[in-house]
Amino acid sequence: MQEVKYSVSEFNAVCNQTLEHAFSTVVVEGEVASFKVNQGKFVFFDLKDEECSVGCFMMVYALRFAIEDGMKVVVKATPKLTTWGKFSLTILEIMPVGEGALKKNFELLKKKLAGEGLFDEQRKRPLPDGLTKIGVISSTQAAGYVDFCKILNERWGGLSVLTAHVQVQGMGAADQIIKALKYFNERTEVEVVAIVRGGGSTDDLAIFNDEALVREVAASRILVITGIGHEVDESLVDLAADVVASTPTNAAQMLTGDRKAEIARGWDYVERVKNVLKERVESTEREIGGIIGKMGVNIVVKITTFEEKVKGQLAILEELNPEKVLERGYALIKGEVDIGNVVNITTLDKEIKAEVKNVTKRAN
Amino acid sequence: MSQKEPISKKIDKLKMQVEWFYGEDFDLSEATEKYKSAVELAKEIEADLNNLKNEIKIIEEDFAR
Repeated sequence: MQEVKYSVSEFNAVCNQTLEHAFSTVVVEGEVASFKVNQGKFVFFDLKDEECSVGCFMMVYALRFAIEDGMKVVVKATPKLTTWGKFSLTILEIMPVGEGALKKNFELLKKKLAGEGLFDEQRKRPLPDGLTKIGVISSTQAAGYVDFCKILNERWGGLSVLTAHVQVQGMGAADQIIKALKYFNERTEVEVVAIVRGGGSTDDLAIFNDEALVREVAASRILVITGIGHEVDESLVDLAADVVASTPTNAAQMLTGDRKAEIARGWDYVERVKNVLKERVESTEREIGGIIGKMGVNIVVKITTFEEKVKGQLAILEELNPEKVLERGYALIKGEVDIGNVVNITTLDKEIKAEVKNVTKRAN
Repeated sequence: MSQKEPISKKIDKLKMQVEWFYGEDFDLSEATEKYKSAVELAKEIEADLNNLKNEIKIIEEDFAR
């Protein structure tokens, strides 16, 4: 069999074809060494473990985390033989892994983005009341999303919820969330976007410290609320969001009113009205009672006065009664008092007829 | 009352009805009717709140592409 003879360029091209066929993309974990950025555009570093090392190349715009020597990272890359025969990995994505690297990245990026004002308090917009259209970015299979929807449905109704199903951890997740956030900003009328993900390891939550994602959240036209991880977890996305909920459940609580509390409030209003009404009725009763009481007193006074007046007049009349005069020993004479006439004389106990014998004028 | 009237409006209406009882326009002869109306409104709000469901839709777009 005749052996194929290649030119150097052909051999290089065949190697690259073989590599591409074998590993269109490859995910490799290792420690960063000799990290450097050339001309502000090109990033070079070595990825190594205890025994081996491989050169890596990437464009600076693809660098989404603060990387430095000694950091443990995971990269998604295409292996390549360069034109000068050096084997290297062309990095598509890079993420820090392990608590130390993630913490370091968090601190470095936090300082950088805070310096740009991305986390400033005055940028934050408050959650409006009475939300009706809510956008959600989450994995629909994630427990955090299920909890979020459960609480949303328990607490309130009549909401229109639009969910963007995305990957919420690992390589590519940050880009999916960015795309979903752009989708809501450009193509929907939701009033708020909730980025929701349940608890996980530091590595699981690492995507929420992705620089591009943090910038997208900070630049969002629509108000962003985050409910990521547990109460103790803090991400750069949280710092850039308008409102931060401690968990997905807490995010659902913050976005909705409590229907039970609202019902109780309605009945509380009615109860207050009832008390006011009762108080008003009692007060009116007291007022009427007072008026009637006063009227009663006036009537009694008037009757008593009248009675006394009548009694006085009766006493006078009594004194004028002829019988009373007769009782005092006087007599009543009826008839013409002329000599020879007969007159009737009435005393207390007798009726007398008497003839007039003499009449003389009395000297006063 | 119309089902289409939003709950928030009904709640505002109930608040206004309550304010009437505290205001200068209060008239004992109208109070019983107003109270009955407030009770009816509170019942409606309770029923509306209990019956309202959320509509949750998943966007068809594939964000992984």
